[in-house]
Amino acid sequence: MPPNSDSSDDDQNPKPNPYPNPKPSSIDQPLDVIENQLASISIVQPEPESDTNGTSPSKLTKGSLNENFGGDNGNLRHGNVMEKSSSSKITERNNSGMEDMEEPSSPSSSGYAGERGSSNGSSSGRAGSGIGEVDDEIHEIVNNNSLDGVLNSHVQWLPGKRHGSEDDASISWRKRKKHFFILSHSGKPIYSRYGDEHKLAGFSATLQAIISFVENGGDRVNLIRAGKHQVVFLVKGPIYLVCISCTEEPYMSLRGQLELLYNQMILILTRSVNRCFEKNAKFDMTPLLGGTDVVFSSLIHSFSWNPATFLHAYTCLRLAYATRQSAGAILQDVADSGVLFAMLMCKHKVIGLVGAQKASLHPDDMLLLSNFVMSSESFRTSESFSPICLPRFNSMAFLYAYVHYLDGDTYLILLSTSSDAFYHLKDCRIRVENVLLKSNVLGEIQRSMVDGGMRIEDLPDDRGSRSGAVSPHLGQPGHATYSSERFDEAFLGVGGPAGLWHFIYRSIYLDQYVSSEFSSPINSRRQQKRLYRSYQKIYASMHEEGIGPHKTLFKRDDNYVLLCWVTPDFELYAVFDPLADKALAIKTCNRVCQWIKDVENEIFLLGASPFSWWTVPGNTSLPEFAEISL
Amino acid sequence: MGMSAASSVNEAMKLCIFDLRRGQHEGQELDKILFFFPADLPFPTQLSVIGLSEGLITFTRIFSPEAPCEVIDAEMHSHVFYEAERDIWMVMVVEKSESEAIWRTDALRNVLKEVHSLFVMFHGSIRALLDREPSGGLTRTHLYYFVMDYLSAFEKRPSLELCCWDFLSGKKLHLPNFRDCLKERGKVQMLTIGREAALEVQSLVRVLESCAGCTQCYSLIMFQDLLVSTTLSPDDLINLFTYTVMRLTPNALSAGAGSWSYLRKGSSTSNASGSLLASSTSVLDRYYSSRDTSPVGVRSYQVVRPLQHDKWSKGKDVFLVTDIWGTEVGSLSPSSPTIWLKQTEERMYLCAFQHRSLTIILFIPVTSVHNGEQGLSVVKQQILENASPKIFKVEEKLSRGWGGENAYHVSGYRYLLVDGDRCISRASPPGKVTTLTKDSLVAMNKLREEVDLEKSRAKCDGSDCEKDQEICIRAKNGAWVISRVTRGKELYMVLEKANETLLYASEAVEKFSDRYCSGAFSL
Repeated sequence: MPPNSDSSDDDQNPKPNPYPNPKPSSIDQPLDVIENQLASISIVQPEPESDTNGTSPSKLTKGSLNENFGGDNGNLRHGNVMEKSSSSKITERNNSGMEDMEEPSSPSSSGYAGERGSSNGSSSGRAGSGIGEVDDEIHEIVNNNSLDGVLNSHVQWLPGKRHGSEDDASISWRKRKKHFFILSHSGKPIYSRYGDEHKLAGFSATLQAIISFVENGGDRVNLIRAGKHQVVFLVKGPIYLVCISCTEEPYMSLRGQLELLYNQMILILTRSVNRCFEKNAKFDMTPLLGGTDVVFSSLIHSFSWNPATFLHAYTCLRLAYATRQSAGAILQDVADSGVLFAMLMCKHKVIGLVGAQKASLHPDDMLLLSNFVMSSESFRTSESFSPICLPRFNSMAFLYAYVHYLDGDTYLILLSTSSDAFYHLKDCRIRVENVLLKSNVLGEIQRSMVDGGMRIEDLPDDRGSRSGAVSPHLGQPGHATYSSERFDEAFLGVGGPAGLWHFIYRSIYLDQYVSSEFSSPINSRRQQKRLYRSYQKIYASMHEEGIGPHKTLFKRDDNYVLLCWVTPDFELYAVFDPLADKALAIKTCNRVCQWIKDVENEIFLLGASPFSWWTVPGNTSLPEFAEISL
Repeated sequence: MGMSAASSVNEAMKLCIFDLRRGQHEGQELDKILFFFPADLPFPTQLSVIGLSEGLITFTRIFSPEAPCEVIDAEMHSHVFYEAERDIWMVMVVEKSESEAIWRTDALRNVLKEVHSLFVMFHGSIRALLDREPSGGLTRTHLYYFVMDYLSAFEKRPSLELCCWDFLSGKKLHLPNFRDCLKERGKVQMLTIGREAALEVQSLVRVLESCAGCTQCYSLIMFQDLLVSTTLSPDDLINLFTYTVMRLTPNALSAGAGSWSYLRKGSSTSNASGSLLASSTSVLDRYYSSRDTSPVGVRSYQVVRPLQHDKWSKGKDVFLVTDIWGTEVGSLSPSSPTIWLKQTEERMYLCAFQHRSLTIILFIPVTSVHNGEQGLSVVKQQILENASPKIFKVEEKLSRGWGGENAYHVSGYRYLLVDGDRCISRASPPGKVTTLTKDSLVAMNKLREEVDLEKSRAKCDGSDCEKDQEICIRAKNGAWVISRVTRGKELYMVLEKANETLLYASEAVEKFSDRYCSGAFSL
């Protein structure tokens, strides 16, 4: 049963039924041409490998789609995923439950996008005025699909595949802003963000032909640039991943997203799936991933709002130190009883995290695991026990995850190496749940969700030990009255002091980041996304391969002033009004750092971090921006 | 020897030109190839480069029909694409093997643009040549000599100052890499002159025009390798400026004896240019013997090779002479050089005059000169008689005011200033840029690449007004790497010895802007 978005999309599809004439000569021609161009070379090329290269893709296009479908592959999966019988049911249920999910997973209520419902409602209304701003989806709004974007704040984003009826012959498909493809090294489609994988077999074979053509020349293709489009390739053994995007994201970011996509797949299947390809190059993987579309689509969606996807760090729910301590204590307690990892999460934010002895959890694994849990509706309805793989922990082995939602957004994940651990983990969960209820941690979590995290408006004033005279004005450093007034205006009208609009602070030792809530004027989803993209870009510039990280980066364009500052301890990314004064912006950055230092035990998980050498809370030695850069 | 020896050392770079309208039938793929360097690569290898390029042009058109493939970036190679004329593509493949092989795509593409643009100036468009002789032999021969001269002839030029580039260092092609990040190809460098000198130049231009005796003539006046004055349109100016600096200025003529010798890294004594072209005819013959459609032999083509070097010299009067354009029928005196002007789409005589550091070129429409060479010598006589005193005076004035090769050095700064609207650039002298560390240069190269990308995206959006942008990076080595883009002007700057604060760096930019850019980059 296709979700709503699909059916509604059908009306808008320029070609009502693409089936009867799958090869309108004008449109399909290119693919044939490309393969001919690549294949024609093999005619003249004496090397033997060019032959396979030239012929294999074309064989594939001649519709061998269903060859391996079903077949004996099923066994393979069961070999690995016996226990998954229950979870495969889960994933099937997902599709039907999709509509229920839309609200909780809409980015505006996801924490990063600002928990304040009040500002959201109005903002999305405003955003609706510009249809052109529709998210990732399409350049021109050919199909005026309200589900795609911001027209309706309640249906901002739907998990699962959309536009499933499209293929590479559809104009609308070609105009999508960001495609993701997973295919096998023989050119079989495994996943496509848009369109029907089976109908994209020809296209998939073309991608394969490009990759292997370059490979046969002893090289590896990374990127193709064409106008605003980038085609990014990632080869992971027998799995090929490709992103085709015109979103202006840096190559490094897109490649990172492909890595995450691959790891998300590994999280579901483990890397031992490679063996299937060793046995049979034409192995069809799609049945193994049946029903996991939602997991991928939700991950891809997070590439446009979740900073964890490029920062490689996780974020915590802001909680009183004592509250987090008591949550941590009970998690530690169960961890000591043979649980590998115990994670208490609220949406994508961490409340508590404990690892057994020296085991450490990579932030990317946490991101992928929480995405897996949150995108699969069935985890919400009952306790579940599911095999998963943590690619950064051990990409070859399954772990067993016990998942239980304690309330609407808060869930507990207990990981064990043993497939028999269900009852033990269930007991652990009951113990954890009891303690959390008794100590009212759950209540605190709810409250924090409502209160939100750090707000730039709350940035405390400079305590002035360094700058000398401190103005009595609210939060303003001492300056001439004139500038002070200007300050107040700025404060009221456009975000925080000195035109501060937003910031992200990443602690390097903790592998954690904190990001301020969105405030005026970053209200609409579109503005938030643009800001997010700017962060992404600036992060890539800061961490340029080979020469990074830079120490400081200041960038001013029509939209923002961006200030980045990297030290051995932390990275600060702050966004200001484009007209912000440099000196004041620098001062404000120092104040932000000081503020974070002051509240670090509320916003960060200290002591129980994945990295065991960080044990002493409150011992952060934040160097001052002023000392370095003023 | 010959080609094979040359190509084996040059295999780090491949350059091909192909026509998508040709060789579309199986077995005729070779017909696509109009030029390939190194020419002695086996055909299957050549075809595989072209096949990949063609395949990806077609593939990217699915998503980006307006702007197909521009770059392929692979682990070990970069392929840079340039559609020189409709369906005629130039692709350069560079290796990324060694530590110096850090490229900036736009810098490489500008090489392709330059060679094509110069080609058109001398020979007309590639398409027109192909139309004139559909078998392609004529085009191939012209391209072969022209591009090979372009790539190799640089080798003997010792100075790579300002916009000029030495692709052959030793026997290796030296393409613009990160070390050239504070240079800009395809822009003109100007001499700054005082008001009085400017007036003198003005009146000289008027005299020259009257000497030519026709209204549609154009002039170009250079001092050393810097532009003093011109009446050419920007497109034509860039080509002719480039050509003049490559072949005609005193530095180009003296080939090594000039005062710019500090720029030379070691002596360029190798004979690569000779060897590159040694067996050219056999290379071209090879193309024909390998295919069945070869109605015309290669040797029958008369090829003018304007980029051949050591071909220009000072004549017995002060005019520059060359036999590149052959000799007059029935006489021993060489034919006068001619070029195509883009602006007027007219063939012009190129008449160059040199007095010490001053090079003056007049462009006179071929159609307006009666009796060909005879008419031209009348014009020359006129110039000698009427303009000489003025020329001497201008030269003297400019020489007096000339600050030497480091005239545009600003101590403490390493910079590049580009004015896109006026097609002008100015930069720190190359000798000063070499004092920068590799880290700083690589960081600047990256920054420029980023700015290039944003510029090309803005172009795709069709927004004419370039966005204002300021980026200041403090690199890992402590250097400030800065870019400013505003109203069509760009400023790039590396400050290695600057103070560590952002405010200090910004102030340094501000000072520079106020003083040398009439405040264009000041806030």
